Amino acid sequence: MSHAPFTFAGFRRGARDGVPLALSIFAYGLGFGLVAAQAGFGVTKAVATSAAIYSGSAQLAAVNLLQTGEATLLALFAAILVINARYLLFGAALQPWLWAAGPVRSYGSLLLLGDANWLLTMRRISEGEEDRAYLAGTGTPIALGWLSGTALGAAAVSILPRPEALGLDLMLACFAAAMMAAMTRRRADLVPVVVGAGAALIIARVIGPAAAVIGAGLAGGAVAAAMHRRAE
Amino acid sequence: MTESFPILLLVMAAAAFLCRVAGFTLMRMIPVSARLEAALRATPLAVMAGIAALAVQAGGLAEAIALGAVVGLTLVLRSDVAAALLGVVIVAALRWLGL
Repeated sequence: MSHAPFTFAGFRRGARDGVPLALSIFAYGLGFGLVAAQAGFGVTKAVATSAAIYSGSAQLAAVNLLQTGEATLLALFAAILVINARYLLFGAALQPWLWAAGPVRSYGSLLLLGDANWLLTMRRISEGEEDRAYLAGTGTPIALGWLSGTALGAAAVSILPRPEALGLDLMLACFAAAMMAAMTRRRADLVPVVVGAGAALIIARVIGPAAAVIGAGLAGGAVAAAMHRRAE
Repeated sequence: MTESFPILLLVMAAAAFLCRVAGFTLMRMIPVSARLEAALRATPLAVMAGIAALAVQAGGLAEAIALGAVVGLTLVLRSDVAAALLGVVIVAALRWLGL
């Protein structure tokens, strides 16, 4: 079986693109470390949690649930499934491209999948990126930032500035808006933009923010599929 | 909660891992039609727009101005990274001004 390119050059290209986002993820790692330390996690436990779940929103929910003292294993499992359901969509969207690298490289790369590097990678794919190592490349600095941020936050909590004061909480949204503007090349591309934004706002009000991102993706995809059929 | 931390960790890791691989694995079993491909291509744009819209909803005027500026700056500068980083500076400045 011949594989699609999976080279160190592609990995390095991804790593370079991931660095700006890794800075904000580092700041968010600090925030999670702080929350975990306040919940009685030491540095080791906090870092182990960050490595095992590797998703800020799911980890915060898990720590909150554990703090109540009434969490069951099933509740913990379910909470993470619901909050990370968007990764189902992310993985599905990557599959036609990533699978060409073969099973080991594909599933290995998926371990480093996050919101930020999914967006980065989907953008590069639309520009013709062929090197499947790009995804793992973008994930590596981001994962390092997340783990080192967690460690530092759990160890030295009270002296850190809040990420909000530096605007870092808006980093992912800024990248999303910038990549959206760069990827919108035809008028037809405005349809998923409008549908996604509208669906996210409505679902956030009606159900909650955890469902809003996956709802936006599903709605955008559904409308694109419906319009495609009409064009045939 | 009586379970030990390693067991908790294992359960949480399993849930997170399942989310990362399930959609990917499912797609391997579905033949990719042109219509499905169009849907998958539109998904990132819709997610990006959704993330930006949620940030404005959760924030306010400062976030709306900064993200609007990011869209404009991306088109002018032709660099999404530069535009995004400038957006962070803009929102920090607006918040510092009390907006």
